Amino acid sequence: MTLGIRTVACSLATLLVIVASTVGDETNPNSRSGCAAAADRFFVDEVWAKVGAQSCLKCHKTGGDAEDSKFVLQDPQRSQGTAQAEALRHNRDEFAKMARVKEGEQFRMLLKATGGLDHGGEAALKADSTGYRILSDFVRRVNAPQPGKPLTEIVTDDKNAIPFFDGVVMLDDRRLLRRATLSLAGRLPTEAELAAVASQGLKSLPALVEAVMQEDAFYARLREGFNDIFLTVGYDDGAESALSYDHFSETRHWTQKHDLNHIEDEKARQQARYKLADNYRAALLGEPMKLIEHIVRNDRPFTEIVTADYIMVTPYTARGYGIYDDLKPTFKNPDDPFEYVPVKLKALVGRNRNEDQESATSFYPHAGLLSSFQYLRRYPTTETNRNRLRARMYFLHFLGIDALELAARVSDAAAVSAKYEIPTMQASECVVCHKTIDPVAGLFQDYYKFEGVYGRRKEGWYKDMFGPGLEGEDMPSEDRWRSLQWLGERTARDPRFAVAMVEHVYYILTGRKVLLAPKEIDDPLFSAKRRAYAEQRCQIDAIAARFAQNEFNLKRVFQDWIVSDFYRADGLATVATNSARRAELDDIGLVRMLAPEQVERKVGAIFGEPWGRLNDQLAMLYGGIDSKEVTERAADPSGAMGAIQRMLANDVACKQTVRDFMREPAERRLFPGIEPSVVPGASPEGDLAIRRVIVHLHERILGRHDAADSPDVERTVQLFAGIVSDAQMQKGIEPREIYNCRREMPNVPADPQYTIRAWRGVVTYLLRRPEFLYE
Amino acid sequence: MRRNFLKICGLAGLGLAMPFGWPVAARAKDEDGAYGGPYYVVFNASGGWDTTYLMDPKGINEINRLYQEGDILTRGAHKYAPTAKHHQGGMSNEDFYSEFGDELLVLNGLDYSVNNHSPGARYMATGKLDSMAYPTFAALVAACQGPTCPISYLTFGNYSATGNLVAMSRVPYIPSLQRIANADSIEGNAKSPFHDSFALDRIEQALADQNAARTQEPRLPRLERAENMLYAAQVNSKALQRVTAYIPSSIPKERLSQQAEIALASFKAGVCVSANLTIGQFDSHANNDTDQMKLIPEFLAGIAYVIRRAEELKIRDQLVVIVQSEMGRTPTYNKGNGKDHWSIGSIMFLGRGIKGNRVIGATDEKQFHVPIDPQTLACDKEKGIRVRPEHIHAALREFAGIANHPFSKKFPLGVVEKENLQGLWG
Repeated sequence: MTLGIRTVACSLATLLVIVASTVGDETNPNSRSGCAAAADRFFVDEVWAKVGAQSCLKCHKTGGDAEDSKFVLQDPQRSQGTAQAEALRHNRDEFAKMARVKEGEQFRMLLKATGGLDHGGEAALKADSTGYRILSDFVRRVNAPQPGKPLTEIVTDDKNAIPFFDGVVMLDDRRLLRRATLSLAGRLPTEAELAAVASQGLKSLPALVEAVMQEDAFYARLREGFNDIFLTVGYDDGAESALSYDHFSETRHWTQKHDLNHIEDEKARQQARYKLADNYRAALLGEPMKLIEHIVRNDRPFTEIVTADYIMVTPYTARGYGIYDDLKPTFKNPDDPFEYVPVKLKALVGRNRNEDQESATSFYPHAGLLSSFQYLRRYPTTETNRNRLRARMYFLHFLGIDALELAARVSDAAAVSAKYEIPTMQASECVVCHKTIDPVAGLFQDYYKFEGVYGRRKEGWYKDMFGPGLEGEDMPSEDRWRSLQWLGERTARDPRFAVAMVEHVYYILTGRKVLLAPKEIDDPLFSAKRRAYAEQRCQIDAIAARFAQNEFNLKRVFQDWIVSDFYRADGLATVATNSARRAELDDIGLVRMLAPEQVERKVGAIFGEPWGRLNDQLAMLYGGIDSKEVTERAADPSGAMGAIQRMLANDVACKQTVRDFMREPAERRLFPGIEPSVVPGASPEGDLAIRRVIVHLHERILGRHDAADSPDVERTVQLFAGIVSDAQMQKGIEPREIYNCRREMPNVPADPQYTIRAWRGVVTYLLRRPEFLYE
Repeated sequence: MRRNFLKICGLAGLGLAMPFGWPVAARAKDEDGAYGGPYYVVFNASGGWDTTYLMDPKGINEINRLYQEGDILTRGAHKYAPTAKHHQGGMSNEDFYSEFGDELLVLNGLDYSVNNHSPGARYMATGKLDSMAYPTFAALVAACQGPTCPISYLTFGNYSATGNLVAMSRVPYIPSLQRIANADSIEGNAKSPFHDSFALDRIEQALADQNAARTQEPRLPRLERAENMLYAAQVNSKALQRVTAYIPSSIPKERLSQQAEIALASFKAGVCVSANLTIGQFDSHANNDTDQMKLIPEFLAGIAYVIRRAEELKIRDQLVVIVQSEMGRTPTYNKGNGKDHWSIGSIMFLGRGIKGNRVIGATDEKQFHVPIDPQTLACDKEKGIRVRPEHIHAALREFAGIANHPFSKKFPLGVVEKENLQGLWG
């Protein structure tokens, strides 16, 4: 039940030496300078990393259960730059001060840590634990300092430590560009982009990426990526349920009554009505992610996802809200179900007066996603849950904190529940979390309707919960009607917001979450894992700082990640055999298995059209999500997914190989400069042409730039030649492609030498390789 | 090809070498590499079940409104709540215990330790509360015992983390199995292959050569893992052809039965080691009795379905069934006639190698945990321990013969020797 406090490893490593200029270096997006320069390593690496951050901070901080004690720490994660270093300095001083206090012959800190002296948090450390040993060591050092040395051991930067990315091979600029364009826009790089990279190298990437981020395809990917995080399309009971009966009963089902009498045929009219409803529902579901698109596309501060005083509506959804007539002139095409425009809703008016929404401005108090009907519907409340799910999701989505990530073991949770009248306010084991969660739950109090969204609790908000507020700051009662705006304003100012958004972009780009701080302090690889975590955290903090400096323009975050070492890391110069080094590098490298949607886009980019079958059930089987029950994409391929990969490779090669040969040579995507009549071994020119095409296929399908005489190209050449050769030894081989691969295509050339089918085998082979199936 | 893959995995350090001391049955495979059991099925009552309406009946202190203490029924060593008069569909406790009581092992008084769904589900599934990295038992046993099975670890929901040891497979619909079973044929029709066999052999050989060449190159650990898993997934997927013979012609209506058919067909075909079967909505904060009387019988019917169908498929003797939830429900009703979260509950087991007709542990009259002596498994309020999920998982790992597997050692449970539950399985 602890609030998952992420250790601020960057700060750990930079304690007391960082200066503001090293954080968020404007001139170098890949800068993590200063992160490796640690001065007080014993406190940083041992006391804070293994004890303070893990066992003390959750209570001993402002707003924590032990905020009134004499040992109050600062959460470094809530500040940046020098302030972050100051927080750690403060913490070290607090530890040192407390370490000097004695109770009789024993040290108070050690007694408290093991549950003595009526410690409110009971036993935070066992007496025989590594954590206790570290704390004891710290107390000893503080009380017996060596002459001429500070309180704790000063160790300057480890001069023997190799740079973190030493020996890691980075992707070359051409392949990095291909990775970026495929990832962001689902297309291959243009010749002009390749030329820019060839002439200017890595420094050209930010501008090229900036241009890619103007394309519509990028915004489709952006919406898809953020839906993977917020899952707003996954709410229950149909799209219209976002609009409550109490407030939209006359309009929310407008498609049922919409005049379609101009369609005479009854069946056609019914089909048109179905389509109308489908588009209306899709438009409603799309509103939250369209808000994100609107913010990013227009270079608005991304803080608007929690502060925007508007929502996005279309001509169709406007009808659902009952505001279409007012908005009609705003739309370029009032018949376009998916033309979104920003609009500020009026305060809700209910069927009964007691359902009317209070508002000092007469407008709905929009607060970006926080107050959007879809977000609230996706994370509904119940009588017992009391908006706590929403509070949990708020922390997770907007501050990057998973309140239930590492729940504290309660010595006897059932007994605690029975012992206290209000355990969540009285039992320290419960209070530690509920003191943070419940105030935020209280901020959602006006959105307490189980069916629909807006609606206040008849009896007033619960008194047996900590009152509405945020981490120690109470919400003024006069702000209750705009409580989510009050929350959004504070969220936008919170340094953790920028960090969380940088982490979200990392998730979108890599398909995995950022590293968590290692917890197993007895793990022999703890230091290596912590270094990996710290290095990544440094990068995140640096990008977050730049993000904030750039007025929260999310495009800068994409740009910074893409040119970072974490995104570019591609291989090793030598085999890493040392277990500690392998642990450090364990998460390095993009190596992302493409999601079903991404596979389809990649097929489309390479072949000119998607496969078209990785949807619905097959997409789910291929690790996709439905945003409801299945909310996390599969990271690794199962055998079932391996089978789908075979299907895809077989089917795409089947459709595209002969089709490409039927194009004019200049228009071919796959086989430029060669005809099916060219057989291996017939002439040196022919063999050279075959090899050239294979080099081209490696580049187009795999993104590899192989030399014509490379072993990998040679393997593919042998595959092609081997199939042709084998075919010549078979009896009764058909002199043309199989029916399924040539159907619906007139004048398909014959295949007497089996070369078309051999090329199909080559394409099949390439489509099954990791370079195609992974990013 | 499979032998080749194992060689490659060994070279790549995937840790697939079979450790010493494995039970023979745990490695059972027939000549074509099909996995022969045991098959592990984990049933999850997602949302938190009311154990007092099943295996830990009370009937006192207003804990249950549907029956009194005197109504409690027995079957051998078991005591259970009467539900025949109240259940809505599914299977009553009376019928369940009558059919399976002799095989059933129940552990009551399990301390879930937390009152929240998410950590509770994680804790029960993995045996580790304070880590997001641990695999579920179902994933772990699949990784240890069936690394080359194409859908070694099936999951239909609930907490399903793999610890990066094995890929999880979601096969949401029975027809999906049919579609992927013959991936090298047009529309799954085995008589219409995409490639002539000699061409396909060449393709497979080129992929094998390419994969082998990669093992000689320095790679980032993450890339190494990914390439090996991808190659294994494609190679092993061929074994899915065996599933088609066991796909039922008709699809059952019930949620668990649908999941069961996919799992059983996969077991029978030797392509799967473990399956995570789940139904939700047990979180009965309102109208507890109505909800639990609908869901517990549905849950029991699903368990019965699996066992009966396993019998028909002649794999029942290899089936290991674990029945669990992430939390219990309070001994008191709230104002909405519901019950809230309670951190004390139960778990049930039956199947291969498990001595049934036994009940271990208990809760007291207020539904609090009673400590258990891990040596004797008797209730001992003075010297007993709080049995928590890590104790159950340590016992399960031992039971499955994987406690000393490198994968298990990678994810230690921290149970000290003296707290191991001796003789839990009989």
